[in-house]
Amino acid sequence: MSLYGLMAVFAEPEALIEAARGMRERGYRRMDAFSPFPMKELDGILEIPKTRLPWVVLAGGIAGAVLVYALVWYSVEIDYPVNVGGRPLHSWPPFVVIAFEAGILGAAFAGFLGVLAANGLPRYHHPVFNAESFSYARGGKFYLLIEATDPKYRKGVTRGQLTRLGAELVEEIEA
Amino acid sequence: MAEASANSPAVLHGRHDFPEISGRIGSIVLNGRLPRHFWTAFFLCFLLVLLLLYSITYLIAVGVGGLGINMPVVWGTMISNFVWWIGIGHAGTLISAVLLLLRQPWRASINRFAEAMTLFAVAMAGLFPILHLGRPWFFYWLLPLPNVHMHWPQWRSPLVWDFAAIATYATVSLLFWYMGLLPDLAVLRDRARSRPAQLFYGILALGWRGSAFHWARYQTVYFLLAALATPLVVSVHSIVSLDFTFAITPGYHSTIFPPYFVAGALLSGFAMVLTIAIPLRWAFSVKDLITLRHMDNAAKLMIAAGMVVAYGYVSEAFFAWYSGAPYERAMMVQRAVGPYAPLFWTMLSLNCGVLQLLWFRRIRRNMPLLFAIAVAINVGMWIERYIIVVTGPSRDYLPTSWGEQSLTWLDFGILFGSIGTFFALVFLFIRILPAITIFEVEELAEEEGKLR
Repeated sequence: MSLYGLMAVFAEPEALIEAARGMRERGYRRMDAFSPFPMKELDGILEIPKTRLPWVVLAGGIAGAVLVYALVWYSVEIDYPVNVGGRPLHSWPPFVVIAFEAGILGAAFAGFLGVLAANGLPRYHHPVFNAESFSYARGGKFYLLIEATDPKYRKGVTRGQLTRLGAELVEEIEA
Repeated sequence: MAEASANSPAVLHGRHDFPEISGRIGSIVLNGRLPRHFWTAFFLCFLLVLLLLYSITYLIAVGVGGLGINMPVVWGTMISNFVWWIGIGHAGTLISAVLLLLRQPWRASINRFAEAMTLFAVAMAGLFPILHLGRPWFFYWLLPLPNVHMHWPQWRSPLVWDFAAIATYATVSLLFWYMGLLPDLAVLRDRARSRPAQLFYGILALGWRGSAFHWARYQTVYFLLAALATPLVVSVHSIVSLDFTFAITPGYHSTIFPPYFVAGALLSGFAMVLTIAIPLRWAFSVKDLITLRHMDNAAKLMIAAGMVVAYGYVSEAFFAWYSGAPYERAMMVQRAVGPYAPLFWTMLSLNCGVLQLLWFRRIRRNMPLLFAIAVAINVGMWIERYIIVVTGPSRDYLPTSWGEQSLTWLDFGILFGSIGTFFALVFLFIRILPAITIFEVEELAEEEGKLR
């Protein structure tokens, strides 16, 4: 069993932010934080890249609308043209209604599936769940993970730094 | 928000810590020790579920003649039930999506059950157009499927748009709801003690672990879904209203309908939110999480939507007169003094009269009274939809083709059956999923400094 990283437990959100900032200043880069609710402050500290998912959502929306509009167009112009009193076959205003709904549907699916795919979920297991302390069961602790692959990682040193930054508990996680 | 509401009650009452919040909300689900009156109420709802199943079976076996509809009024309670339920669903989306976009903190503790309400209301709504078809087993003809007839749906028909809109709305609501549930399912997974509960919530949580990288993407997409749901709500109810504007029958031919229907949807939807929330906060003693502030704000939104609805009534009548079309005018007059006059005046007194009580703060904060008003508005809004559906066709161009429809036990069996089924689903939801969003309430408590 190889070592995945060190997990430090904090009781307060402020303590986690403080510790994450402290570890960053000490040069650690391969870190992750876990919290029961989103914490904006961590984005800068952990250098979380700006997600490209909005573009995925936009693409999904356009794809949905275009595909359904094309389907309608194909059905009225090519597959089943019915001349009703000389009215145009391609009477676009009513078709926009269905294309709009399809666009929303495509965008929603792209967003939902996109966020799962980008987060690597669903996932049966992850090394962090090996940590005894890692759980929502005691109601919202705040965790900082230093991965063992971090170039600055030194077993004893890192543990000491985390403890000095106010960790309640520091635990080794097996991969 | 403190400055905006110096004299209004706080969004959260008292001081909380994280284990307390997730423990209290989670234990409603995990301990399963729900009060006796919960199960009594569920049992009563279950009887209505049986009534719905019996009524639907009867309707399919006998045909739509079992309902009170008859020539010339062939649209009846199935259509008004449909519009009513869809409208109720819309307030749920409005609360969860629009208030999220506007960053209103008071939505945090009521958005989950508002979204659940949307889902169940849409599920109920979806039944009615299908039951109304006469041959419900052919409903899939509305879909562009390759079939033996080798033809396509009529893309220019509001009924086909309706199908697309409702199907999209139900799907997007489900995705939005499930996405909001993910972090809370992870909380339940970890707090659960029994193996079946751990498996159940564990599978549903999809391995959520609350990583900061995940939260960043999650929040972006959750906001985007909310931004998508908002125009969707408006488009769905506008499309529903187009069912009533594309004909040339008097009363079915008015351009005011889309905005007027959307406002009506919000009025009835907020009435339903209060109808559920007031007993919920009492029965589960979560009065410090769902506070008077929520009730007060929902009541204010009700009066705002209600005044737009009242404006809709006035402009509908005004344009009937201003059009100069004798048939439109005759239909409006007949609506007020004709065979459906008692219903019409009941509707006005409930939706425009009783509503005005909400201007008074003392009434908005008196829970039994607010509950009574919400129920009255629900009734009034059902009558409104019924009036719109039946009065037009009942007063057609020629007096020889005038006629009314009746209501039979089957109409009421399906209506009350659907109400019971809706509440039975709400009860089951409270039993198996967290009815209050744990992570957002914790975030709110953190931001407001309401931590012990």
